[in-house]
Amino acid sequence: MSGRIEARLKELGLELPPAHQPVANYVGFVTVGRQIHVSGVGPTWGQTVRHKGKLGRELKLEDGYAAARLTALNLLAHVKVACGGDLDRIEGCVKLLCLVNAVPEFLEAHKVADGATDLLTELFGAEKRPARSATTAPSLPFDIAFEADGIFLIR
Amino acid sequence: MSHDARLASLKIELPQPAAPAANYVPYVVSGNLVFVAGQITIWNGEVRYIGRVGDTLSLEDGVAAARLCGLNIIAQVRAACGGSLDRVKRCVKLGGFVNCTPDFTNQPQVINGASDLMVEVFGEAGKHARFAVGANVLPRGVAVEVDAIFEIA
Repeated sequence: MSGRIEARLKELGLELPPAHQPVANYVGFVTVGRQIHVSGVGPTWGQTVRHKGKLGRELKLEDGYAAARLTALNLLAHVKVACGGDLDRIEGCVKLLCLVNAVPEFLEAHKVADGATDLLTELFGAEKRPARSATTAPSLPFDIAFEADGIFLIR
Repeated sequence: MSHDARLASLKIELPQPAAPAANYVPYVVSGNLVFVAGQITIWNGEVRYIGRVGDTLSLEDGVAAARLCGLNIIAQVRAACGGSLDRVKRCVKLGGFVNCTPDFTNQPQVINGASDLMVEVFGEAGKHARFAVGANVLPRGVAVEVDAIFEIA
């Protein structure tokens, strides 16, 4: 399907990863009215983790930023499924929770999380920026560098 | 089978819904959504599963702790619905926090304790979106905390 957001992704040289379906007793997203509640995802491509480790130890800010950007693409992969494949039905992201795998001394979770919100802004525009929480976590599933969940609004 | 009937047939007992520990409420109903405050491992006032997964507690302890958080969530939802779970349309979202060591990376399996309970009790309607994350400490030193969003009729 070629829509406005698909064209924008192409312009940015980006591709959505495959929506990874959880293997346990939960699902990738739940639709409530016009809200899509997306499960926590990470910097993965299919089954492969692309960014592992902790900020402030083996990873630099740029690594975290890149991890957050890829994570946002994974959120969108789920929203795309929720929209029946048409990304143009996305009005925007309402709320993001950003979790950064980091050592306790790391103070720049907000800058890492910008990787996710910058990407959403590039796609949907500044007026559709989400409310956001960003925090560090001492550990994340499978040692992923970054995790985010989100609530999106669709039309 | 209705949710209340299924709960009874599974012989699952719910704890008393816990009063909040500070200046907040255990749940807020907004339209058809119920937002449940973070629930910890408490059974009728007695705090259980104090400790850290990967250190003083095992993975199995963590899973059991998450299930207890889930029971408390269901107790709060039942209270929000005026005493019956039959108004539940869907468990929309669970947020799972695991008190664990910095090298523990199996938070998903711990939070499965809560996720599995939701599907046991609500069937397909229990399948939710969720996140799981490590925390370096949780209120009262408990192993797991879980919050939730439910859709009700």
